[in-house]
Amino acid sequence: MSDHGDCSKALTSLYEFLDHEMTDVDADLIRAHLDACEPCLDAFAVEEALRAVVRRSCAEHAPETLRWRVSQITTTVIVRRSL
Amino acid sequence: MLTELPRTATATLGANPLLSYAMTLPVTDDDLSVENLPDLETETEAERSARFERDALVHLDQLYGAALRMTRNPADAEDVVQETFAKAYGSFKQFTPGTNLKAWLYRILTNTYINTYRKKQRQPQISGHEQVEDWQLARAESHTSAGLRSAEMEALDRMPDSVVTTAMNSLAPDFRLAVYLADVEGFSYKEIAEIMGTPIGTVMSRLNRGRNQLRTALTDYAREHGLGPREGR
Repeated sequence: MSDHGDCSKALTSLYEFLDHEMTDVDADLIRAHLDACEPCLDAFAVEEALRAVVRRSCAEHAPETLRWRVSQITTTVIVRRSL
Repeated sequence: MLTELPRTATATLGANPLLSYAMTLPVTDDDLSVENLPDLETETEAERSARFERDALVHLDQLYGAALRMTRNPADAEDVVQETFAKAYGSFKQFTPGTNLKAWLYRILTNTYINTYRKKQRQPQISGHEQVEDWQLARAESHTSAGLRSAEMEALDRMPDSVVTTAMNSLAPDFRLAVYLADVEGFSYKEIAEIMGTPIGTVMSRLNRGRNQLRTALTDYAREHGLGPREGR
């Protein structure tokens, strides 16, 4: 059974752990805790699910009008300079 | 532990954001391999244009997505992206091939937005009180309310995009951008620090606050819509 100190440490590091911003040693400590503590594992699973939802919802396709305008940037300069 | 950016580098980036596109970011998998690096001495203008089209324009959809989150308005997003690519093309000769092109483009996008559009939009400025200490205290340290029941997890998966984008749009601009760069684009803290021109501690503070607000809004939605049998009563 994990004590509350470990849970608190794991939950405080939740973002950094999932962002891959922890050292290997620290990340291994979190992994070991998650193996033993289901409530913490659930909290991490919710965070991963939230990230997937945010990624999916914010994916955008640039409008064709913008694609055309941007494609003109290189063309325009070449034409102007070659005159 | 995370290392802070050297103070001088941060100061330089902050001093003249429009002119300091120099990045010290590590090369990523997306970048050119060393063997394919162009010889800048002999590269013709047509070759450079072709390289720009090949390497920079592929990021159009992502930059537009970021611009849409920044401006919250498609017309302004289109303008800020077009201006970004025009500036990037103008400085492309100075960009060091093989370094992080995507982050470089995001840096230009961020500067363009901050210098032109945020002023125009007259959004309230973010408070400067972004100490690292208070987000550490603010973070929930117990998981009593962190979990969601399976019906609530399903509600999360089925959540309409508009619910998420509305929740994103309600975040303060700096929090919103940090969350977008981390959650959607997967940039590292160091990359976000260079893109936003702030120390890593500020990035972590913005990420923590922004994510906490966004997570609260989204899990509240999931709880309200994941009531299962009680629904419709």
